Amino acid sequence: MSASPLLEVRDLRTHFFTRAGVVKAVEGVSFSLEKGEILGLVGESGSGKSVTGFSLIGLVDPPGRIASGSIKFEGRELVGLPPAEMRALRGKRIAMVFQDPAATLNPVLSIGQQMTLAVQAHGRASDAAARDLAARTLTRVGIPDAAARLDAYPHEFSGGMRQRVAIATALLHGPDLIIADEPTTALDVSIQAQILAEMKSLAKETGTALVWISHDLATVSSLADRVLVMYAGRIVEAGAVGETLRAPRHPYTRGLLDSLPAMARPGEKLNQIPGTTPSLLSLPPGCPFAPRCPRADAVCATDPPDVVTASRLVRCHHPLEAA
Amino acid sequence: MLGFIIQRLLQAGLVMLAMSALVFIGVYAIGNPIDVLISPDATQDIRAAAIKSMGLDLPLWQQYLAFLGRLLSGDFGRSFVFGTPVIDLVLARLPATLELALASVLIGAFIGIPLGIYAGYKPESPIARGIMAVSVLGFSVPTFWVGLILILFFAVHLDWLPAGNRGPTAEFLGVQWSFLTKEGLTFLILPALNLSLFKLAMMIRLARAGTREVMLTDTVKFARAAGLSEMTILRRHVLRLISIPLVTVFGLEFGSTLAFAVVTETIFSWPGVGKLIIESITSLDRPVMVAYLVLVAFLFVTINLVVDLSYALLDPRLRRGGRGA
Repeated sequence: MSASPLLEVRDLRTHFFTRAGVVKAVEGVSFSLEKGEILGLVGESGSGKSVTGFSLIGLVDPPGRIASGSIKFEGRELVGLPPAEMRALRGKRIAMVFQDPAATLNPVLSIGQQMTLAVQAHGRASDAAARDLAARTLTRVGIPDAAARLDAYPHEFSGGMRQRVAIATALLHGPDLIIADEPTTALDVSIQAQILAEMKSLAKETGTALVWISHDLATVSSLADRVLVMYAGRIVEAGAVGETLRAPRHPYTRGLLDSLPAMARPGEKLNQIPGTTPSLLSLPPGCPFAPRCPRADAVCATDPPDVVTASRLVRCHHPLEAA
Repeated sequence: MLGFIIQRLLQAGLVMLAMSALVFIGVYAIGNPIDVLISPDATQDIRAAAIKSMGLDLPLWQQYLAFLGRLLSGDFGRSFVFGTPVIDLVLARLPATLELALASVLIGAFIGIPLGIYAGYKPESPIARGIMAVSVLGFSVPTFWVGLILILFFAVHLDWLPAGNRGPTAEFLGVQWSFLTKEGLTFLILPALNLSLFKLAMMIRLARAGTREVMLTDTVKFARAAGLSEMTILRRHVLRLISIPLVTVFGLEFGSTLAFAVVTETIFSWPGVGKLIIESITSLDRPVMVAYLVLVAFLFVTINLVVDLSYALLDPRLRRGGRGA
C-alpha cells in the first residue's frame, strides 16, 4: 500500500499577480515526501520556500495563487480542491507552524480557548473534552502543569513556550504532515535546540512527516533526512541531508555553506555570495543564479539541465564534482 | 483593580467639580434671567424682591458655593421658570432620552459591526462597496434632513409609524419607558433610526478598518491553518481583536447622544432632556442649565469609566496590573 508517497508535488508554480507584473515565487518545483520523513527546505529570503509551504496547505494569500502543477496528498489532488474540503484537511491531516509565535497566537483569547476552537474545527467535541485533549497535547510538547495553564494568555508565556503551544495546536489532531515555516528563527539558540530535539522525536514517535522550512543550514542538518535547496523559486539541489551538505554539487549550495560563520577562520571576513537575489518579476532566461555564480559561462544563459544521480538532483550546467 | 477604580472615581469627582464651576460661571455670564422672567414694566420693588428670592443679589462666588452646598446634599435648586425642583424636571425627561440614545447606539452597533466586518472581510465585493457608500451617506447627510424624510416616508406617505411624540409608556423601576409597550415601541423606531445613522456609519468604518488589518495577521493565518471555518475566525478571533476601538466609540457615542440628541428630539417632538435644555437656554433658566450640564458631565465620566473597565475585560494584557492588587 505504501507504493505512493504521502506527498507528491509535481511542477508546482505559484505566482503572484501584482500590478507591477507576475511574480513567479514558485516556478516548477517537484518533490515527494514519504510518511514520517523530515524534509528540509532551505534558501535565502525570497527563494520561494515559504510560498511553497503555504501552497501545500492551500493558504497562499491573494494576489497569489497556484498557477499550475499538482500537489498529491495520499494520492488525492489538492490543487483545485474545493475550499470546504481543503479546510477539512487543514489542521486535521496537514498542519502548519509559523515563524513568530507572538504573532500567531491570538493575544486576547486564552490558550485553552484557542486550542478548543482548533479541536472543535474538526467535529463536535464538548468543551471539556476539547480542553482535556488540549492539556494532554500541551503535556506532550513539554509544557508543565498544562491543565492549569490552559487559562493563561499568550503574553503570560515565554517565546519558547508560545511556540510549544503553537506546535501543540498543530499536533492536536495527529496530522500526517506538518509544515514548519522557520519555527525556531524567533527563538533563543538554547530554546531552538530543545524545540528541534522535541520536534524530531515527536515526528519519529507519531510517524508525522515534516517539511521544515529554514534558512538555517545548521538546523536543517541536525533535523532533516533530506534537503531541498531553493533559489529564485526553483529547486537547485536536492538529496540526503548529510551527503548534500557535506559535498554540495550546486555552486549556490556551496556558497551558502561557505558563508556560514563556522566555515571562516576567526578574525577573517565571512565569505559571502556576491550580488543579491534577483527580482522574480523579470527573471532572465537560463540559470537564475548565473549572475552571481563563479562558474558561470555563456552556456548558463540557457536553462540548466537536471543532473540526476542515484539520490541527488542538481540543476546546473557546471555542477561541482561529486566527492 | 480596586485601586484603579478608586483613582478613577477621585478623578471623576475633580472633573465634576471643575465642570460645575465652568458651567456656573459660563451661564452666569450669558445674561440676567430677571430680564426674561419678569415683565419689563414691573416696579423696582417687585424686581428687587424677585432678584432676592432667587439669590441673584449675592456675589458670584457666594452663589456658586451655595449652589455647590445644595448640590452635595442632592438639591439642584428650583427652576426659575417652572418653580419646581430641577432634579424632578430632568429626571422626568431623562428616561426618554436614555432609551432613545441607547436604542440608536444599539442599532448602530448591531447592524454596523457585522456590516463593517463583512466590508473588511471582502473589501472588493460589490456588497462591501455598497455598504461603504451607505456609510458615506450616514456621515454626510444632515440628521435633521434624514429625520424629515423618515417622517415624510414612513409616517405621512406609508402611515406605518407615528410621526412624533412619545406614545404610551409602561413603568419599570419607578420610571416610565416606551420600549416596554408594543405601541410605545413604534414611537421609538423612527427617532432611534434617525439618530443611529451616524453611529451606524461610524461602526461600519471602524469595524471595516479593524477587520482589514486583522485579516492580514498571522493570527488569522494560523487559525486557518488549524482548519477553523471563516465564520468561526470572524466571530471568535476577529471580533475580539477589533472590539476595543468599537467599545470606545460606542461609549463616546452613547454619551454624546444622551447629551445632544436635541435636533432629533425637536423634529420628533420627543420629550427628552435635549428639548428641556433648549427651552431652558431660551428662557435663561439657569438652575436647569447648570443641573443638566453637570448631569451630562457625570454621565460622560461614568460611561468612560465603564469603557475603561471593559478594556480589561476585553484584553487580558491590560489586566496584569490588577493581579494581586
